[in-house]
Amino acid sequence: MAKKVLNVLLLSMFFIGVVSTNSISVAQSVDPFGKYSEPVVLNIAMSVAPTLTLPPGDNLENDQYTRHIKDNLNIIIKVAWQAASGDNYTQKVNLAIASNNLPDAMTVYTPAQLRQMVKFGQLEDLTEAYNKYASPAMKTMMKKAGKLVSSAVTFNGKMLAIPAINVPEDGYHLMWIRKDWLDKLGLKPPRTIDELEKVAKAFVDMGTIGISGPQSGGLLYANFLAATNNTFGFDPIFSAYHSYPGFWIKGADGNPVYGSILPETKKALAKLRDLYSKGLIDKQMGIRKDSAEPVVSGKSGIFFGPWWMGYWPLPDAITNDPKANWQAYAAPLDEDGRWTPHLGTPANSFTVVRKGYEHPEAVVKILNLLIRDESKFDFTKGGIGLYPLRVPMAPLDEGEVTVKAGKAVLAGIKKPEDYDVPQYDIYKLLRQDVRNIKEVKLKPYDRMDIQYWNPKANMTAWSRWYSLMVGCSPIYAAKSITKPVYSLIYYPTKTMETKWATLKKLEDETFMKIIMGVAPLDSFDKFVEDWKKLGGDEITAEVKEEIK
Amino acid sequence: MKRENTTSSKVFDILNTIILTLIAIVCILPIWYTLCVSLSNKSAAAAGIVRLWPVGLNFNSYKEIMGDWKFFNSFWISIKRVVLGASLNFIVTVLMAYPLSKSPKEFPLRNLFMWLLIFCMLFNGGLVPWYQTVRSLGLIDNIWALVLGNSVPMFNVILVMNYFRNLPKEIEEAAEIDGASPWYILFKIYIPLSVPVLATVTLFSIVYHWNEFFNGLILMTRAEHYPLQTYIQQMVVVINTAGMSEEQIKELSKLSNRTLNAAKIFIAMIPILVIYPYLQRYFIHGITLGSLKE
Amino acid sequence: MKSKEVVKHYYLMLLPGYIWLFIFSIIPMFGIVIAFEDYNPIQGIFHSQWIGLDNFKFMFSLSDSRIILFNTIFISILKIAGNLITALIFALLLNELPFIKLKKWIQTVVYLPHFLSWVILAGILLDIFAYDGPINQILFSFGNKPILFFARPDLFPYLVVGSDVWKEFGYSAIIYLAALTGIDPSLYEASAIDGATRFQRLRYITIPGIKSTILLITVLSLGNVLNAGFDQIFNLYNPLVYSTGDIIDTWVYRTGLLSMQYGLATAVGLLKSVVGFILITLSYFLAYKFTDYRIF
Repeated sequence: MAKKVLNVLLLSMFFIGVVSTNSISVAQSVDPFGKYSEPVVLNIAMSVAPTLTLPPGDNLENDQYTRHIKDNLNIIIKVAWQAASGDNYTQKVNLAIASNNLPDAMTVYTPAQLRQMVKFGQLEDLTEAYNKYASPAMKTMMKKAGKLVSSAVTFNGKMLAIPAINVPEDGYHLMWIRKDWLDKLGLKPPRTIDELEKVAKAFVDMGTIGISGPQSGGLLYANFLAATNNTFGFDPIFSAYHSYPGFWIKGADGNPVYGSILPETKKALAKLRDLYSKGLIDKQMGIRKDSAEPVVSGKSGIFFGPWWMGYWPLPDAITNDPKANWQAYAAPLDEDGRWTPHLGTPANSFTVVRKGYEHPEAVVKILNLLIRDESKFDFTKGGIGLYPLRVPMAPLDEGEVTVKAGKAVLAGIKKPEDYDVPQYDIYKLLRQDVRNIKEVKLKPYDRMDIQYWNPKANMTAWSRWYSLMVGCSPIYAAKSITKPVYSLIYYPTKTMETKWATLKKLEDETFMKIIMGVAPLDSFDKFVEDWKKLGGDEITAEVKEEIK
Repeated sequence: MKRENTTSSKVFDILNTIILTLIAIVCILPIWYTLCVSLSNKSAAAAGIVRLWPVGLNFNSYKEIMGDWKFFNSFWISIKRVVLGASLNFIVTVLMAYPLSKSPKEFPLRNLFMWLLIFCMLFNGGLVPWYQTVRSLGLIDNIWALVLGNSVPMFNVILVMNYFRNLPKEIEEAAEIDGASPWYILFKIYIPLSVPVLATVTLFSIVYHWNEFFNGLILMTRAEHYPLQTYIQQMVVVINTAGMSEEQIKELSKLSNRTLNAAKIFIAMIPILVIYPYLQRYFIHGITLGSLKE
Repeated sequence: MKSKEVVKHYYLMLLPGYIWLFIFSIIPMFGIVIAFEDYNPIQGIFHSQWIGLDNFKFMFSLSDSRIILFNTIFISILKIAGNLITALIFALLLNELPFIKLKKWIQTVVYLPHFLSWVILAGILLDIFAYDGPINQILFSFGNKPILFFARPDLFPYLVVGSDVWKEFGYSAIIYLAALTGIDPSLYEASAIDGATRFQRLRYITIPGIKSTILLITVLSLGNVLNAGFDQIFNLYNPLVYSTGDIIDTWVYRTGLLSMQYGLATAVGLLKSVVGFILITLSYFLAYKFTDYRIF
């Protein structure tokens, strides 16, 4: 009898032991921030600014970020290769894809490259890794960002990349205008197309070029493949006519249609053509060497661009003329007084893992760590862009919260220390921001004109705050009258791979010729016909299938 | 060369001098412009108001470059590349040109080799197969990848081959009667007689290796391994903002320093400016063929 | 016919070069098969799906393929001719200059534009020909209206060719200058004694003396007939001049922006090579047939 009891006891101890060990290891292995017991090596590619400087002794494989990752997760970052951000990095990624020589993980900045790798079957399925290991913070942001973002990285039900969730502000194109000239001429900031025309005329009479246009090689308007951050285009003018060239929107019959072939676009083109013929748009639009030059040299008083102009080109502009008071407005408005800009997708960069890499969850953990700890880093020791595999994930209201905080601190309602509480953890730059706003902003604090700023005190801080206060505020202020338009897709479909180049060439040629008076307005109708014939209809049908 | 003394001849000389000098001035203007931009104030350069004289003269760009070890690191890599590359090219060029300069009667398979060379000059499999080849040889990040990468300098070989071909046969025949080997003839006779064309192809080789930036980008994984022009090419970008990421935006204000870029470009041209006059004497004072007449 | 001994040495001399050629030029050349495949990097160069001439068919099926081909050839031929003639004439003129120091200085200076990249030069050109730029200012002072140069498809090819010739002629002239030094000076002395004029010297001594070089360079340039200069045109063009300025390479580039079309790009490369090769071979055999001279 005793023996039996002993056996049962031993057996049960065995089972308890086994069960509890299992649950411990299971719990450990699903920790979003779980440190590996053995070091895990991760080969990555890095897109680096050519002007990069790191503290002495640091290099890309040994800086504050890689050390943080090693200390917290026991992941060793090895940089397979680096390239300058932009074209060079794109080229090297293309080469890596083409020669089937992908690093273990990397970030790509075009949806085209992502789809290319998906097509070739070069990517590891991240569905499980994401479901198990993504931190609550990441999951929350992804959920809030919604279908727009998840559809960009899900292929046949599988999640093949981790997307960026960028601030929406990048997608808004504002009207930037020389307020000091308006004041001198006794004019109010224009709100409609007609008012804009009057102001442009007044500026031209002053001896300037009128409304700035794109430079040689620049875009007339952002399109569904490059939907944000277009400077010196005419996006707001098109939008005011409810014309969305370059975007896929819902037609009258509920089906997707390409915005460039709709009658609204013809109307907008007619107006631009009219403005150009009257000399109210830069005569050299489309062929100018650099559209920033007239802005910087004081030859242009109106241009359209995103919120961050305080980074570029305004610093040079105000160095040349400290009185240049560039202010931004949510304008022109449509006939009903509403602001109807087109917007982009928050997902414009993607982190991917090559097929066959043994630890895809390592990548998820690295990004978890980034979200949690971003505010703890000292950016003077290397910008956040150096964080391996970084895809920016920002809470969608980051801009608004920051602007609100800035105003509160300036008004004395709040102190910078008030933002040290955990609820502001996800706004990583906020604490630094609220501490330096008074360096660059002069009294009266509620006036945003250039004379009430002190850029020289801290140019970097000034760039950020001027962009936020002057570039972003109009977006928030216009919320009640804003009706934004999104594209139905932000990536290319199959037939586009072969036929889009031809269609786009036709579009670019026709539109530019119409605006500049080289071709008659009615050549638009022939364009629509040709566009449909040369593949447009085929592609439209594909888009319809895609968005089902 | 004796000159005529007629009026029409003098008029020609004067016109010629004027025209050529004007052409030379037009050619030097962009360099001068780049220099002026490099010595100007950053914001003035961004405003596009710098023309043919610096605006806001300052040496900040050059001071900044002096402190930029990456610039000098790449400079040194380019020097190494040029020395290795030009030397190797020279040896291989003359070694190939000599047999190819023989007629098919003297060297039966000569035409085959010649056409093979022409074929290779025109046909290539594209970037990916070439990259895979270099990679499988383990040459990535290695300076030899840059030196060997674009294969034999085929155009140079043909130039030298053509020159060798036009040297009088008697020279070679005389040497052969004296029992000279082809090696002796090539190195002790042909090469000294071909100084102008050899100086030309050496210059081409040096310039090619100095200017080449694409292979530097493709074959090197780190900026520390970039040759100079690759290093510079990174910065001299055309600013097209649509679709940019936040980091790129922040870097934009630093990148768009035309003044600094102009300075880097200018400094990168200096070695070329220096080397040409040195090689030039081989073009202007050539070796005569008078020795033949004996 | 040289002795076997000597020929053996010839093979030895060719060995290093041809090994180098084999590894870095001939082996990669097998990648040309990509032009006939639906290339998939995972399957690799030799195991991707064969699609035969589909890439070529696609190229020629495009609505503007003829225009693009024409633009490419037009610009290219003008460049080849312009470059050749300008470099040659410049070399000859420089040769006539009596002042050695000036000669050296000019020679150094004119080869400098070759070293500026098209990214820089395009910017400079766009500025020079800007609506309010120096060229238009000159035109204006002669009572003409300013021209939007780079908006004009009728002017674009000539702007492209002209600026390229300006950029390259000094560098190309080096070959001719070197060739000129190879002419036996005693021939000139003899002609001076005979009282030959400058032009007679040119016609009977100088040109024949460098004839083989001129012919060689001309024929080799034909190999590039479908390379109209991507870098330059890419940095200079805009939609207004597509009709005359869009060339094969810029079209391939824009197509590749959406999805890298390796098969297509390789097919285009192959096409260029084949056309160039045919032209060179043709010229070679024509010259051989009619003048019994082998160009190379």
